Amino acid sequence: MNVANPADREPTAEPAFRAEGLRKVYQTGETEVHALRGVDLEIPAGEMLVLLGPSGSGKSTLLNLLGGLDRPTSGRLFYRDLELTGLDEKGMTRFRRSEIGFIFQFYNLMPSLTAEENVRLVTDIAAHPMDAVEALALVGLADRRDHYPAQLSGGEQQRVAVARAIAKQPGVLLCDEPTGALDSTTGIRVLETLATANRELGATVVVITHNVGIAAMADRVFHFLDGNIARTEVHEHPISPLEISW
Amino acid sequence: MTALDLKLVRDLWRMRGQALAIALVLAAATATFVLSMGVHRSLTETRDAYYERNAFADVFAEMTRAPRAVLPQIAAIAGVKRVEGTIRQFATLDFPDRVEPVRALINSVDEHGRTRLNRIKLRQGRLPQAGAADEVVVDEVFAKANGLDIGDRVDALIYGRKQSLRIVGTGLAPNYIYAMAPGDLIPDDRRFGILWMGEKALEAATDRTEAINALSLTLERGAAQAEVIRKVDSLLDRYGGTGAYGREDQLSNTFLDNELMQLEALTRVIPPIFLLVSTFLVYIVLGRMIRTERTQIGLVKAFGYSDWAIGWHYLKFALAIAVLATILGSFAGTWMGQGMTRLYAQYYRFPFLYYEIAPSVFLGAAGLSIGAAALGALGGVREAVRLNPAVAMSPPPPPVYRTGLVERLGAWGGFTATGNMIARHIARWPWRSAVTVLGVALSMGLLFATMQFVDSSKVMLDSYFYRAQRQDLTVTFIEPRNEDVLFELSQLRGVLRAEPIRAVPVKIGRGNRTERSAIESAPAGATLTARIDADGREIELPPAGLMMSRQLADKLGARAGDRVLVEMLGGRRTTIYLPVAAVIDEFIGERVYASEATMDRIARDAAPAGSALLRIDSSQRRRILSELKAMPEVLGVTERSAAMGKFEDMIDENINTMLAFYISFASAIAVGVVYNSARILFSERVHELATLRVLGYYRSEVGVVLLGELAVLVLAAVPVGCVIGNWLARLMTAMFSSDLFRLPFAPSPASYGYSALVVLGAASLTALLVARRVLELDMVRVLKARE
Repeated sequence: MNVANPADREPTAEPAFRAEGLRKVYQTGETEVHALRGVDLEIPAGEMLVLLGPSGSGKSTLLNLLGGLDRPTSGRLFYRDLELTGLDEKGMTRFRRSEIGFIFQFYNLMPSLTAEENVRLVTDIAAHPMDAVEALALVGLADRRDHYPAQLSGGEQQRVAVARAIAKQPGVLLCDEPTGALDSTTGIRVLETLATANRELGATVVVITHNVGIAAMADRVFHFLDGNIARTEVHEHPISPLEISW
Repeated sequence: MTALDLKLVRDLWRMRGQALAIALVLAAATATFVLSMGVHRSLTETRDAYYERNAFADVFAEMTRAPRAVLPQIAAIAGVKRVEGTIRQFATLDFPDRVEPVRALINSVDEHGRTRLNRIKLRQGRLPQAGAADEVVVDEVFAKANGLDIGDRVDALIYGRKQSLRIVGTGLAPNYIYAMAPGDLIPDDRRFGILWMGEKALEAATDRTEAINALSLTLERGAAQAEVIRKVDSLLDRYGGTGAYGREDQLSNTFLDNELMQLEALTRVIPPIFLLVSTFLVYIVLGRMIRTERTQIGLVKAFGYSDWAIGWHYLKFALAIAVLATILGSFAGTWMGQGMTRLYAQYYRFPFLYYEIAPSVFLGAAGLSIGAAALGALGGVREAVRLNPAVAMSPPPPPVYRTGLVERLGAWGGFTATGNMIARHIARWPWRSAVTVLGVALSMGLLFATMQFVDSSKVMLDSYFYRAQRQDLTVTFIEPRNEDVLFELSQLRGVLRAEPIRAVPVKIGRGNRTERSAIESAPAGATLTARIDADGREIELPPAGLMMSRQLADKLGARAGDRVLVEMLGGRRTTIYLPVAAVIDEFIGERVYASEATMDRIARDAAPAGSALLRIDSSQRRRILSELKAMPEVLGVTERSAAMGKFEDMIDENINTMLAFYISFASAIAVGVVYNSARILFSERVHELATLRVLGYYRSEVGVVLLGELAVLVLAAVPVGCVIGNWLARLMTAMFSSDLFRLPFAPSPASYGYSALVVLGAASLTALLVARRVLELDMVRVLKARE
């Protein structure tokens, strides 16, 4: 599988995300936790971005802010020309609904719904969704559409989660440790589907991982340390998921 | 405090909402138990003490007139302990400023204090003295209702003679705990009272020197009452005896027994419903708690706690709720019992009321609520005991959903994905769903059964007062009269119609069963009375034979076509075999009817009329009443509208209190069930709900998933509630029916609607309370944790 070079893509006039001085402070009991300490960033549209860094360095906090799940304590965050920091609760939900696909470490599928119905959960409410079965076909699970999560392996469940995320044809895919609970073979299978989504749907993909090997498939890598992006790494020639050393 | 107990205390605090909701339902059980048992015992003890202290007699008899000399003969009957003869005389009282008739039943009392049976409990003043012919003691309730005081004078028409009476005391007696004028359905303290007059004075007033017309006696321990009654009857036969009877047929005692029976029925029906619901609730809440604490249980067992220590720990959770419920319910029950006892004091004339709930009642209540909670905890505790620590510490297997009927139903019905989530979750937890449905249904059923009581009473009233009775006035005569008086009545200006009512007291026997009753008859073509059966049909008098009410027929074991032995009490004492021509379902009393011709056959004569029914021009009411008051042969006048109003007042007054109780009880169940279901549902689905929020579902859409399931269950409970309510109402009407009246099962459609509305309202408010938690969903934290 070939992974597109960002240079091959149509040049984008604007970044997918742009942030200025993002701060997030959590109040836990009597202590303040500074999860993000004034992050400035730009994420080019259509890229695959990997966030690397130790636990508590701010990766997940940033992902939650990007996905409209949480609000920064200060600073401004834009998705294209939409200012996320200016949205109310309803606006945030609308934003998630139309633009964001989430993938989590623990899949978060509805145990009472079949694979296809889990995907339909999103296509039921999306504006321009693809067909649920088509989305399952994209992750190679069309034949397991009638299986319940309990009847699927971990890798299959995660692929259903990916199908659910891409079925709405989102602008952005946000993945928090998507392969954290998987072995290498199934993990690579999942990463391939993410790469496919990035390539074929043109979605901007942001992946949090502890697995440094995965970073090699990214166009860009943010290295987090103590609530800041310590270093940005740009890959001119990202590798295919199949080439990843797990 | 051990660490495990500390966990228990904190668990209780953490789950205080759910624990309290269960405790409230259980407290309702305790409260109703304490209430009905407590009042039942209080009333029973009050009655027994009163009967004992004031020597309530065992056997009573009335006759036309007997010499006092008959008393030693009766005293000589084996088994008779003490016998006393009295004169009982109805009289009309004249309150100059009042037009409505006031009646009194005057009883003789020994001027020298030698009366020992049915002794007066003096409340004020003293007994009549020898030689003071005008002195009377007035029953306290009547005195209060009419503003009579010691020293006041009242004009009375006794035995056709006007006499001025002076009140020297007020009192109460055990044979008039419930006092009601003949022909009335409900006591009217303003229009009917009991008076006691000196024996000599009453003898003189009624021309009964050394004669009596009533007697009462007490029995030796172990004496055979039936045998004594038989002998008394044969002695009194020639004096116009109308048949002796025991306490069970004594009016006041019968009403009291009836009340006690109803209280007992209440104890047997209501608390079990609450106990059942509480057991269910403990079952689902503790079950869920133990499932969520699997890992902790495994851990604690791994530390070396025994299986039983863990089981006991969870059992204590249920017991703590039961203890709280017992305390709450005992206070509530005691408080409500006081209110109810006060209500009884209005209708029953007790000189004192013991309201003391025996410790055994509280212990019983505690036992019931602890038992119910422990039973509910059993399933969960057993699961906790059986959990293998190694298995427990690994995460539970995911819930397995498979394609079944419900799933196909979803595809078939074109459900959305969230619709499928709702349907399948219900099917995944069938027991819990059933508990929710059943709990809400029971709450609705209870409310419906209560409301049906109102409907039932109204139907009974309507049937009796509007359809069976069409007269305005019932005129009772001093003694049965012939047609002449009827003619006289019909000549009064403003009287539109006058019809006689004949009633002959009889004993009816079949095989070895005998019942006392009175055969009633109305002339052919009578329009002022009708016999209405339970279906609202008007039933004609049979041309020959008897028509008897279902209750009496059942007691005699008689059916239409059977022959019964009719023995006339008093008069000529004829005995005759008559066929039962028909059995009628009536609401009130155990009655027997016959056509006029049959009546004449029984009486061997044209039977005289004991009373007359009048239909009048309402504009002439005052004048007619005052003319009737002046007629010497008239003993009393009952106004239908007054009786009806009194009855309706009583129903309205009691029913509002009763409805308030039951609405709060039913709501307690609905709230308890829905709150716990909703909390469990929320805790089980919090992960899924948060995921939906992340996927871009609005709060309102997520709320639908949470509330949708509850809504389906609560709505499903409505038809079930109708069925349960129907059944419960039938059970309660059957249990509340007695010799005195039979309640019809006659629910109005509004009762279905209203009980459904109250329960749906309580359920909706509770569900919304829990649904507010959707607002506080922390999406980020929920998704970080593995389910």
